[in-house]
Amino acid sequence: MNFKHILSEIEKTDPEVYQKLSGRRDALKSFGSKVALAALPLALGSMFKKAYGKTTDAVIDALNLALEFEYLEYTYYRQGNNTGSLIPANDLPGFKAMETQEKAHITFLNTTITSLGGVPFTPKNFGAPTTVAPYVPAAYDFTMGGKYTPFSDYKVFLLLAQIFEDTGVHALQGQMSQLLGNNPILTQAFQLQSVEARHAAFVRHIRRLAPINAPETPSPWISNNIPPTIPFQAYYNGEDNVEHNGVIITNLPNIHYNNGAMPKISATGAFDEPFDKTRVLTLIAPFKL
Amino acid sequence: MKINNTPENVQVEETEMVFDSSRRRFFQLAGGIAGAGLLLSAASCRRTPSSTTFLGAGDVALLNYLYIMKQVTAAFYTQAVATPFYGISLVETELQVDLRDQEIAHREFFKKLLAKDAVKEIATQLSAVTFADKKNFLSHATTLEDLSVAAYAGVIRVLTNTDYMLTLSKIQSVDARHAGFVRDINTHNTFADGSLLDSNGLDKVIAPLAGMTLLEKYIETKFDKSKLPTF
Repeated sequence: MNFKHILSEIEKTDPEVYQKLSGRRDALKSFGSKVALAALPLALGSMFKKAYGKTTDAVIDALNLALEFEYLEYTYYRQGNNTGSLIPANDLPGFKAMETQEKAHITFLNTTITSLGGVPFTPKNFGAPTTVAPYVPAAYDFTMGGKYTPFSDYKVFLLLAQIFEDTGVHALQGQMSQLLGNNPILTQAFQLQSVEARHAAFVRHIRRLAPINAPETPSPWISNNIPPTIPFQAYYNGEDNVEHNGVIITNLPNIHYNNGAMPKISATGAFDEPFDKTRVLTLIAPFKL
Repeated sequence: MKINNTPENVQVEETEMVFDSSRRRFFQLAGGIAGAGLLLSAASCRRTPSSTTFLGAGDVALLNYLYIMKQVTAAFYTQAVATPFYGISLVETELQVDLRDQEIAHREFFKKLLAKDAVKEIATQLSAVTFADKKNFLSHATTLEDLSVAAYAGVIRVLTNTDYMLTLSKIQSVDARHAGFVRDINTHNTFADGSLLDSNGLDKVIAPLAGMTLLEKYIETKFDKSKLPTF
């Protein structure tokens, strides 16, 4: 890690960072030879706390919610990928890639939260004998109390994967407001949410095509507020919002339609919607033990 | 493609196509005709072809950069729907219409948001794209979608008005869905290729100036980028 580089990057987005830190010299001094390498993340964390003291707790809280989601997804894919012939060979490389990426996200979020001086989230039963960190199967009930069979029916596995990925994107978007003013971390949140959105597109597209042929004909993006099945409507409510920054998208022009206006299906598909923390925790609660 | 293309020139090319059954020649012509059609529509609303277009300064320049990107992607998918690739499936046909309409929604959103500060409509340059050829079309679609995704992450680093940040996140994730989709129909399972992501499993970031420079390969209009915030 190059801390001088990190400082100069922060300086570019927040020119006043050194005033907040009482001068560049002081900021750099704290990374001088007196600070042992192992203590650097901690020193960096306290530096951030000094500069952004009012918001650091909010940032940590936001990243911890993202981390909670990543644990759930990683455990789900690892379990699926290791369940006999559940996932067809044709799709398996994609789900293996998702498993690898969710694991990388857990490491990234753990490191970032720690360097901000926070305590990273750990799932329930983290110390259970079945745990092979960050794989924590003892934390989850992916059958939702016996209602679903994701690990014996690929269709069900895909359906829940879609729920997790879409909700993961919306959960991150719900946390963006907590990151405002901290552009370096906001940038990384964008880099993270787009990977989740790529995952969502993959899963939804598989469900659209044969042999799955999901009855609601999902697109890789979310049209209106259509859930995969009715019991999951709560995971899509509000996705049919058409107003952003005071602009009503259905009032915008689209010459390809007879009335010259943007169809609602395009207006809603073009924007994902943020879910706040309370809602996200409510939505994932049925999958937690 | 030359600026002085006329409908007569286009007609000549179409006539040639009838007599040349070579697959490669057909694709070249299809790309050329497609580009010419766009140029004609774009040229009609251009008043000063030789001047440069000023992007504006600060946040305005950043939003114009995204607006220009959407002008390119909307033109790109409009052409793709008009002249779809050979062998396109029914589902792909339907989803390409979605791609077009969502890019238009984003384009019109930025135009409305920028109001009087919006750059005028630009002249796109898509002659490098062979729309009739699936692989060629999808490689350009992948380039544009991956670029869009990385562009938002870059813009957010230097944007100062926090009012727009949440909306940009809502658009970026949809562009990432597009990217995942076009990559997947090109080569299954490559929606978030390992070569694309860093060791943290994060998507790319591109600085606005670098992103604008890549985008200009698809644009004929010249821009004054001197006040575009970048890093």
